[in-house]
Amino acid sequence: MRRSSPLVPYLLVLPGFLLAAFIILWPLVQLGTIALSEVNRFGQLRGFAGLANFAAILEDPEFLAALWRTVIWTVGIVFGALLLSFPVALVLHQDFYGRGLARVIVMLPWAISITMTAIVWRWALNGESGLLNSGLRTLGLLDTNIQWLAQATTAFPVQILIGILVTVPFTVTIFLGGLSSIPEDLYEAATLEGASAFQAFREITFPLMLPFLNIAVVLNTIYVFNSFPIIWATTQGGPANSTDILVTYLYKLGFAYGKLGEASALSLIMFALLLMFTLLYVRLTARRGEDVA
Amino acid sequence: MSPKLRRTILAWLVLSPLVVTTLFPYAVMLITALKPATEVLTPSWVPSRLAWENFVEMWEATGFGRALANSLYVSFLSTVIAILVAVPFAYALDRYRFTGRGWLRHFLLVTQMLSPIVLVIGLFRLAAALGLVDSVNSVVLVYGAFNIAFTVWMLQSYFATIPRDLEEAAWLEGASRTGALLRVFLPLALPAITVTAIFSFINAWNEFVIALTMLRRQESYTLPIQIFSQVAGRYTVEWHHVMAASLAATVPVAIVFSWLQRYLVRGLGLGAVK
Repeated sequence: MRRSSPLVPYLLVLPGFLLAAFIILWPLVQLGTIALSEVNRFGQLRGFAGLANFAAILEDPEFLAALWRTVIWTVGIVFGALLLSFPVALVLHQDFYGRGLARVIVMLPWAISITMTAIVWRWALNGESGLLNSGLRTLGLLDTNIQWLAQATTAFPVQILIGILVTVPFTVTIFLGGLSSIPEDLYEAATLEGASAFQAFREITFPLMLPFLNIAVVLNTIYVFNSFPIIWATTQGGPANSTDILVTYLYKLGFAYGKLGEASALSLIMFALLLMFTLLYVRLTARRGEDVA
Repeated sequence: MSPKLRRTILAWLVLSPLVVTTLFPYAVMLITALKPATEVLTPSWVPSRLAWENFVEMWEATGFGRALANSLYVSFLSTVIAILVAVPFAYALDRYRFTGRGWLRHFLLVTQMLSPIVLVIGLFRLAAALGLVDSVNSVVLVYGAFNIAFTVWMLQSYFATIPRDLEEAAWLEGASRTGALLRVFLPLALPAITVTAIFSFINAWNEFVIALTMLRRQESYTLPIQIFSQVAGRYTVEWHHVMAASLAATVPVAIVFSWLQRYLVRGLGLGAVK
């Protein structure tokens, strides 16, 4: 290799690094400053407040409710998508007529902005004019129209279902990548040894897919935890904050209620949680990443 | 019955609940977008006629044109920024061994995982400090920066598949490192850069929460915010216009995305999983 200055790679990396670091660190410093200050609703800092904003958040019943709902939301979507995606990936890995079309349909929600999908669902779920109620009535599954989004008992489960639907494509993609990485001869050897299809699945497919399952769980946890548009575009966290998760509650705190101090404290708490998930992902992929890192 | 035919029937049977639920909202979108205004509130599945005029009307009624221009501006410019800084970044990560390389990869990962939403208050203050609130340029800056991790990741995994020998051969023939880079490497990398740029463009095109926060005046709304504003906090929603606008805003992008999806899978797969 031709000799070049050892500084070259650093110069190549520098502009991107500076821009990415600036856009994260500057807001982060701001968040730290605001979270430790007394702030009025116009965003002016009124002096040091210690941990008062953090204490206020932790005592806020709305926060606790949203936190609990975030757990249900995240666990529900991540595992719902997992349970649905695994068999779907197994099917899509087979050779059958129309597989290309089936893949395009399964992947469709990934191709369409989640905001738009959520707006369309908001309309489809409309009590009087929505096509979901009319469809279910035609099929004889429903007698009276349900106001799906008007109360949390139906709105939140429906939002979780929408969340599952838009999470399936990415999850299936990861699984298909995993399935195609399993060498065919393993199955041939198993068949020669007289293993049944179920045994082959239990002894070969499942253990070899486990790393991909782990990665799907961690990445989806991060994405779902951060997911804002589904809830915002269907109910905006309503009625009466009953479908708020942390991200929508954070948004309201900061931009509707003008409680910037508490919102910043909440941001930092969520930032810490995300960092934890990310470290978990790094640990999961560390061994596999060593050859490229 | 041939085994493949049997497999086909079984496969479609297993997939059918998911296929129906997935297609349902988009069928609703299409049907509503083509319903005459008088039938929109009747929950019927078949419009009495196809009301193509909805697309013409919605252009004015929803302010589609201006929002489209804003979306194109924001997505294009933020992609240019991300690609301009990501190409040398990814090239350095792939072709050089240097101290701090592993650390940089972790840094990228963290920025990728951090959704802008947890920083949204800080980002808003950043825009305020730069005097960019209400300006589409604030969104350009944030999208560009947040797309760096993704673009570097994709590009690096493709750059790794371009053989070094070609560049080394060019050096032997007396080309400078920069010359080899420009005349040998970049032409080979161009398809990868194009695909990555398209995905970066689509990411920006679909983004919601940053635009919702930074853009406060209708004149600067991007498409997702513009269409959302036709729905949220209104007593009467012109759903046929909204659905026609959603359709126009998503279909072109969805076609391109579906077409290029396998590259995304391969790029992310190489970078993230392997």
